[in-house]
Parts: sequence; structure tokens; C-alpha cells
Amino acid sequence: MEMSINASKQFGSFRLEADFTVTGQRIGLFGPSGSGKSTLVGLVVGLHQPDHGIVSLDGEAIFDSRKGLNLPVEQRRVGMVFQRPHLFPHLNVKHNLLYGHRRCAPENRKITLDSVVGVLQIEHLLNRGVSNLSGGERQRVSIGRAVLSNPRLLIMDEPLSGLDDSLKFQIIPFLKNVCETFQIPYLFISHSMIEMRIMTDQVLSVADGRIAGQMTAEELARSRMGESHAGYINLLKLKYSHRLDGLHVYHWGNAHLFASGSSDLPESLFELSSTDIILFKRHPEAISARNLLQCRVTDVFESGNRLGIEMECGGERLIAEVVRQAAEDLGIERGIKVYAAIKATAFRRLG
Amino acid sequence: MPGFTPTDYSAILLSIKVATTATLISLPFGFTVAYLMTFRKFRGRVVLDVFVNLPLTLPPVVVGYLLLLLLGQQGWISKVLLQPLGIKLIFTWKAAVIATAVVGFPLMVRSIRTGMETIDIRLIQASRTLGAGWFDNVITIILPLSIRGIIAGSVLMFARGLGEFGATIIVAGNIPGVTQTIPLAIYEYVSSPRGDVMAMALCCVSITISIAVLIFHEWLGRQMIRTD
Amino acid sequence: MKFRTIKLLLCVFCFVFLTGPAALAADVNLSVAASLREAVTELSADFAKKSPGVSFQRNFGGSGALAKQIENGAPCDVFFSANVEWMDYLEGKRLIDASNISTLAFNEVVFVGKPGLKVHRLQDVVKLEKIAIGSPKSVPAGQYAMEAITKAGLDKQLENKLVMAKDVRECLMYAERGEVDGAFVYKTDAEIMAKEVKILFIVPQNLYPRVTYPVALTVTGSKKAEAVAFYGFLQSAEARKVLSKYGFAVK
Repeated sequence: MEMSINASKQFGSFRLEADFTVTGQRIGLFGPSGSGKSTLVGLVVGLHQPDHGIVSLDGEAIFDSRKGLNLPVEQRRVGMVFQRPHLFPHLNVKHNLLYGHRRCAPENRKITLDSVVGVLQIEHLLNRGVSNLSGGERQRVSIGRAVLSNPRLLIMDEPLSGLDDSLKFQIIPFLKNVCETFQIPYLFISHSMIEMRIMTDQVLSVADGRIAGQMTAEELARSRMGESHAGYINLLKLKYSHRLDGLHVYHWGNAHLFASGSSDLPESLFELSSTDIILFKRHPEAISARNLLQCRVTDVFESGNRLGIEMECGGERLIAEVVRQAAEDLGIERGIKVYAAIKATAFRRLG
Repeated sequence: MPGFTPTDYSAILLSIKVATTATLISLPFGFTVAYLMTFRKFRGRVVLDVFVNLPLTLPPVVVGYLLLLLLGQQGWISKVLLQPLGIKLIFTWKAAVIATAVVGFPLMVRSIRTGMETIDIRLIQASRTLGAGWFDNVITIILPLSIRGIIAGSVLMFARGLGEFGATIIVAGNIPGVTQTIPLAIYEYVSSPRGDVMAMALCCVSITISIAVLIFHEWLGRQMIRTD
Repeated sequence: MKFRTIKLLLCVFCFVFLTGPAALAADVNLSVAASLREAVTELSADFAKKSPGVSFQRNFGGSGALAKQIENGAPCDVFFSANVEWMDYLEGKRLIDASNISTLAFNEVVFVGKPGLKVHRLQDVVKLEKIAIGSPKSVPAGQYAMEAITKAGLDKQLENKLVMAKDVRECLMYAERGEVDGAFVYKTDAEIMAKEVKILFIVPQNLYPRVTYPVALTVTGSKKAEAVAFYGFLQSAEARKVLSKYGFAVK
């Protein structure tokens, strides 16, 4: 999917100016509140019109101020998942799901109710009224509804912001599966770096009504490491092994990790901040931290006034951050061996 | 039943007939105006708002008189439209319906607008992204979600219509069997020294109908809550 | 500060509502059948010229409605009715003493309509679509007309065609405006007031009792010297001349 915007819009004192083209199936739009993300997206969906410019999808112009072209919202085939589900209260779940499907031209109806309902696991909800659903169920129905309209682009405007953490990471797999299974390109908006990294390939970062940059999610995370006091968030898939002395033991690659998590699920996603990893040049003989990993440095990068140290540990990858002076003191460079110490309490389970 | 004459019975039936007809013909217009006022921006919006609310603030006899000027023999609409088509409205039950509809119209529009204003605009945006054009939107989203306002407006208008007197007597006259509704019949009895018993009897009928309408409205409201 | 304003407003309120226009000692209250409007206005003006200090409060309407108002306590010293029924009604309620009733004038019921209308007798009326008539429940002109219609056997045919008016002048107004095809009014109304319509026929007298206008001094009126004097004036030759001028038959 190719999206191209060369347009400007004035909103009171706020001015949006964009000139970019982005290609891909999983595109992200990242930026703080008020940066213009929702406005930009509004231009693509058709809920707002630019003052001047052109908006195109897959080479086809859907708005062109010079030609006076403005394709109405209902004809653009751009689906939208909002922060809140906005399900139609007077229709039951099934009719909500089919609302867009019915209005889709027959030749475009490739996605069927049964398949979507299967992927989202909402068969048992079909005949229910929408007010009897939990938050997660409602958001899943909302996603299903948007997908069933067979859009050529799905825009998701902070679809996870309204959910609590455990719910968020339950929904994310549904989101990914649905779009992968039905091959729907999407534009994912969030202010959460973690969500961006999981959901997207290319990310456009937006600030003050302009596109500040276009890069992969990973590159974005690294570049932001120095600014964020949470540093770079390592996302680790840990497989549960057993309990020992009040701690949970997990498999991670070839290594064992001790974490003070409380999950007995076979596999969970954990986050570990780069700031919580302490590096040793030599093996410290005694240390209070329960985790000590032998790693090899694969890359060193700059971010702000910090250095990110990318390491390979037992087949998996980890990034720690240190100040420049510390890197010099330890003589850290690519290829050397280091020991990474991590407290059991530093791991936080995501979902 | 204290000796109701056939004329009295026809007054009761006529009241219900006029109020019901006025409500039914006002519904599409009321809905349209409420929709325009709630969801569309256009020049002259304020003017429309003033016009629609005018009958609410004017004395009904003034409304009746204005209608008479418009629709009567010398009236502009009469000369341009009605007389060429051979339509006579003054002093017919149709005039009673028109008078009732005009006087009650602002009540209906207000109620429907109140109902419409509670509709989350995101729902409308969502339906558009799902492929619904503006008319589709109106029928499948706005109409069902404003049904409470529509019902409230209809009941209010019907009740107001049952009691309409001032405009009706001017533009439809007091014609037993044709335009004499309950209020007009009561008026005639009240003017007559021996008419107090009948006036009271008709008052009771009027009160009974009003109570029935209000109970119906309550019941409908509960039905709606149950299906939510 | 606020309290003072409230007190002031209350005082103004009381003043406005509890003090009426000062009732003059010599105020005579008249309740008059609508068809006598111009005649009684002139009669009372003539009398006032002769007796300075006397002023009149005039109330016009259908005689039945007037009787009901008087019964309910409306102030009235002299009552002019367009038929005997409503006068007897008040006598029955002891608001009028029989000795204070006299006959003022007579009239005839006619049918008016636009000139050129092909209606020449009572039976022709059934061809019309809408006819104005005073409400028979309270307006003598309507009662007389209704009696004639019933006696002529036309009442069923005229069902749904009769527009009820609150007094005979409203009937005339409907006819003048063209909102009805014709109206039953008094001969005097047609002669005094009609501009657009004219008398199409006179309703045969054998179909209804003679239109008689009794006038009476009410019990309250009989205690007012000015009212008694006016009542006496109404029996005079001068008064009869005024009534004849307006087309009423006298004695």
C-alpha cells in the first residue's frame, strides 16, 4: 500500500504541513498529543479536508484541491478503528459487524463474517447486545467491524489507549492476526513506543504538525533511548520453567532468567529497561542480582548523551545503556565479552 | 355517559382524529428540520430556528389569524396555489389539522433535537467510514438513535393538539361534526347558561384522554429501556 | 440591597393590582345583545349628555353568554336580551324582578350572502356548503334560525354545514369575509353593517317566534338611581326614535 500526502491545513493556531510518501503494509504514526496525528489521519479518512494539497492512496488521488476532487468518506474504503469502540448501540454484535460488509460492493467482499469471527474469537457474542460486553470484547468487535468492510487501508487511531495493560497485550495478537490473515494494510497510531515496535515496520514521527522523520520502529526506539528515562525497552518472550525460592525461572534463548513475576502462563512477554542492566568487564564473583548473563557486544550506538550497547546473549539480543565515560572506562567496543547483571525485580510482565 | 349528543361524540372523535393527523404529517417535517438544525451548518440557520420556534411564543389566535391571511380567500398562498387547484382549506377539518400542526411543530422539533443532540458524533463518523452515505446514515443511525426524542415529540404534539383552540377557531371555525373539537365544544357549552354539566363532562373526557396518552408514553419509555 | 428591591417591587405590585380605576359613583353597567350595539351606544350617549356625571360600562355579546356572566356575578344594572328566554332565565334566578322588565323592540331574521348568489328562499340554503349561524346554545339569532330550519324540515340536510358563531355580528363577519357562503343575521345587522353582502331573503315569520328584545333593570340596578333613570329613558319616545333609526321595529 502506498500513501502519499502533500497538503496543508490550518486549524485555529495549529498548522499541519505534510509532504511525504510511505509504502508498506504496517505503517506507524508516532508522536506526542497535539502533534497532529489525528488531523493527518482525518485527512486520509476524509473527515477533514486539507486547505490545499493532494492525498493519494495506491496512486489514486482521493483529494486534490486543484481539481476540486474530494472523494466522500463513504467511498474511500478507508476503515477506522478508534480509541473507543463506538459500536452502534441499537444493533447487536452481528449487525454491528456486518454494517460495513453490507455496504461494500460485492466484488470487494473478500473477507467473510465467519473468518473474522474465528480470528477474533467472538462467535459466542454474535447475538448479544453491545452494552453487555467487556471492554476487550467491544474493541474486538470494533476491529472486526472495520475489517469486515473490506477496506483497502485500515487506520487504527490509538486503539489500545483506552485499555488497561493486560488487556492491551491480549488485543495486540488479535490485531496483528486479523490484518495478517486478511492482508489488510494498516496505519497504526500510538504514543507508545512498545506498541509501535510490535505492530509496525515503518514509522512516521510527527511533531508540531510536521513529519519529523521516517524510520523503522527499532531505529526510532533506539534514537529515543537517550531522551526517555525508561531508556530502551527490551521486549523478551520468556518461557516459564519452574519456581524456585519464591522466584519464577524462565527460559530465554539458551539462558535461564529469574524474575519476580507472578505468571504461570507457559509463555509471556516481559519488558526490561536498558537502564536496569549493569555491565561488568569481568565476572563479578558475588553479586546480589540473581541474573548474570555472559554476552558479546554486537553494536554500539549513540542516543542523546548516552550510548546504547547491543549485545548477543545465548542466541537472543539485549540492549543496555551507559554513559559515555562508563563505556570508555570499560573499554566497550564491538566484539568484546561482557557480563550483564539484572535484578529479578527489573522484569515487568506485559501480557 | 351523561347524555352526550351525537355532536358531542363527533367532537371527541374529531379531536383525536385532528391531533393524530397533525402529529403524523408533522413527523417527517419535524424530523427533517431537527436533523438540519443539529447536524448541518448552513446560512440562515438562525432564521430557520426563529421561524420554527415562533408559534411557540405567539398567542395561538395570532397564529390562527396569520394562517387565515395566508390561506383565506384573499391569501397569497390561496391565490397562487389553492384556488387554481380548487382547494378550499378555511373552515374545513384540514384547516384544523394545519392549525394544530403549526402550533405544535416547535414542540416536536425541540424534542427530536434534544434526542439527536445526545447522539455521539463518532458513531456517525464510524458509519461513514464503513461506507454509509449521508442518507443511509440518517435512516440507519440517526433515526433509530433519536427514536426516544421522536416519540416524546409526538406525544407532546398530540397532547397539545387535543387542546388546541385559539388558532383552530379562527382558521377552521366552530362547525359541529366537521371542525368542532373538544375544546370548541366546551367553549360553546361554557358560554351557555345551561351548559355547565356538559362542559364538565367533556372536560372529564379530555382529562381522561390526556392521562391515557401520558400513561402510554411512560409505558413506551419503559419498553425502550428494556430492549436496550 | 437585594431585600430593599424586593420590597419595593412588592409594593408596586400591590399598588397596581389592588387599586383599580376609581369606580365612579355614577357608573351604570350595561349588558347588551350584540345586535343592539350601535343603538344602545347612541342611546347611552344621548342619556349621558342629558345627565352629566353618569358614565356607562358597556358589555356586548350573545344574550345567553351575557346571562351566564350575570348569573356568575358580573356587574350589570340593565340587561338587553335578544329573546325572552334569557330574560326569563335570570328572572328565575331572582336576579331580575318581573316588574322591571319591558319590551324594547322587535326584529326579523334574514339570510345574507354575496349578491348574485342563487339563493332566494330558505330551501335553497341546503345547496350551499357553509352557513354561519349564532350558536343556538347561547345566541338568540341562532336559536331563532335553528327553529325555522327545524320547522322547515331542513335540519338533517344542513348537518355539518353550520358554522357556529359566538354572536350575530360574528356571523355577519364570516359572511363579509367570504369564509361562509351565507349567514343568518337580523335585518338590522344587514342594514347597518353589511358592506359586501346583502339580504337574499327574509326568513318566513311563521317558522319562528317574533324576535322580541326585552330590557330589564336588574336587582342591583334597581338600587342605582342613574340606572333607574336610564331604564325609564329607554321607554321614552326619544329612545324609540333612535331604535327606529337603526331599523328596529318598536311596539
